[in-house]
Amino acid sequence: MGGKPSCTLGEIRNRADFLIYWGGNPAECHPRHFTKYSLMPKGKFTPNGRKDRTMVLVDIRETASAKAADIFLQIRPGKDFEALTALRSIVKGKRVEESAVVETGLTMEQLNDLATRMKKAKFGVIFFGMGLSMTRGKHMNSAAAMTLAAELNAFTKFVAMPMRGHGNVTGADVVVRYHTGYPFGVNLSRGYPRFNPGEFSTVDVLVRGDNDATIIIGADPGATMPQPAIDHLASTNTIVLDPKVTHTSRLSKVHITTAATGISAPGTAYRMDEIPMTLRPPLKSPYPTDEEVLRRISEAVARKAAWYPTPEALMAAV
Amino acid sequence: MELTVTKHATCTFCGCVCDDIELHSDGTRVVETKAACILGKSWFLNHDVVRHYPDALVDGQEATLGEAIEAAANYLYEADLPLVYGLSNTTCEAQRQAVTLAEMTGGIIDSHTSL
Repeated sequence: MGGKPSCTLGEIRNRADFLIYWGGNPAECHPRHFTKYSLMPKGKFTPNGRKDRTMVLVDIRETASAKAADIFLQIRPGKDFEALTALRSIVKGKRVEESAVVETGLTMEQLNDLATRMKKAKFGVIFFGMGLSMTRGKHMNSAAAMTLAAELNAFTKFVAMPMRGHGNVTGADVVVRYHTGYPFGVNLSRGYPRFNPGEFSTVDVLVRGDNDATIIIGADPGATMPQPAIDHLASTNTIVLDPKVTHTSRLSKVHITTAATGISAPGTAYRMDEIPMTLRPPLKSPYPTDEEVLRRISEAVARKAAWYPTPEALMAAV
Repeated sequence: MELTVTKHATCTFCGCVCDDIELHSDGTRVVETKAACILGKSWFLNHDVVRHYPDALVDGQEATLGEAIEAAANYLYEADLPLVYGLSNTTCEAQRQAVTLAEMTGGIIDSHTSL
């Protein structure tokens, strides 16, 4: 699990009696999350389903998910890290200045109540969404949420889990992690992996113009990334693998149409709790899968001389 | 076309990856979904296996798969620092191949996680 204080969704279904959703809107973005995994199901230690659970929603506005929540806490935008840090202090019984709480848009009573409820829970979960991890503070916010969950284990069982968006983004983390030791933003240019989000993450690399070729698999940055990043993709050699001809395909040198994952391409995808699922595609595509195309590109590269000094080349030069 | 029923199909639209979905398909498209949510339903119903697009495009012109693969390999091989990006709407098997490619070409590998 990469050191995260986490568990499977099955454990949450059967055990969790206290749920916090922070910066996410599962009612609209993960519609079956409540009913299948977290809030509604009757589990082994939650035999009454919804009645056995308390749900807290922390968000900057009252979304559709607020209707499902017992407690809704409206936080000021960009103040998640401050609120999480104050909560960590309260949980540990340390004194927190009133002024430090006021700037988060919440009251001392609300945070004290939340901290008490967290400690009293039998099995608590913090699900954090992109409202936490993609706003001011970014991965430091995620780290604060996970640290809070980890520290709560001094009192009760508590876990934290990111609400992952795109289908198999969890799989990307897992696969890159078991190959390189790091989950994303890994630079292999020295022949060994180096990890540094902010330096080797895509948007930063593209905006600075560090790279001189890009291969994009099943993504459309041409429609979502900042303009300088798109300009850099258009001015360098870009290759796109996608089931559709996308915005990015139009500004790239090479586009290869591939089968759609899970619909016409078989394989494995990871659920947000890092459980691998087998795909059962109902259709057969006229296009090759991403796997086949990537393997053939790798084979074509392997036929060329290695870019790094191989033992054979070094011996030949002596 | 004959109707086929796929039981316990897995939906890869969001991170829930629900694996209890029943799909009815006629060979070219999914015509009915059971147990899928509103997002999963539109995900399955909006994909088909009709050839809407050319196999590959090189410099905006239609090309064969082999030509496109050769062109892609050349661009990545000649680059000083290639970037391998995306990876979330694909299978773990393809992700493994992507790591191999990034290592072979001495590049950066990154996914939607960093966005």
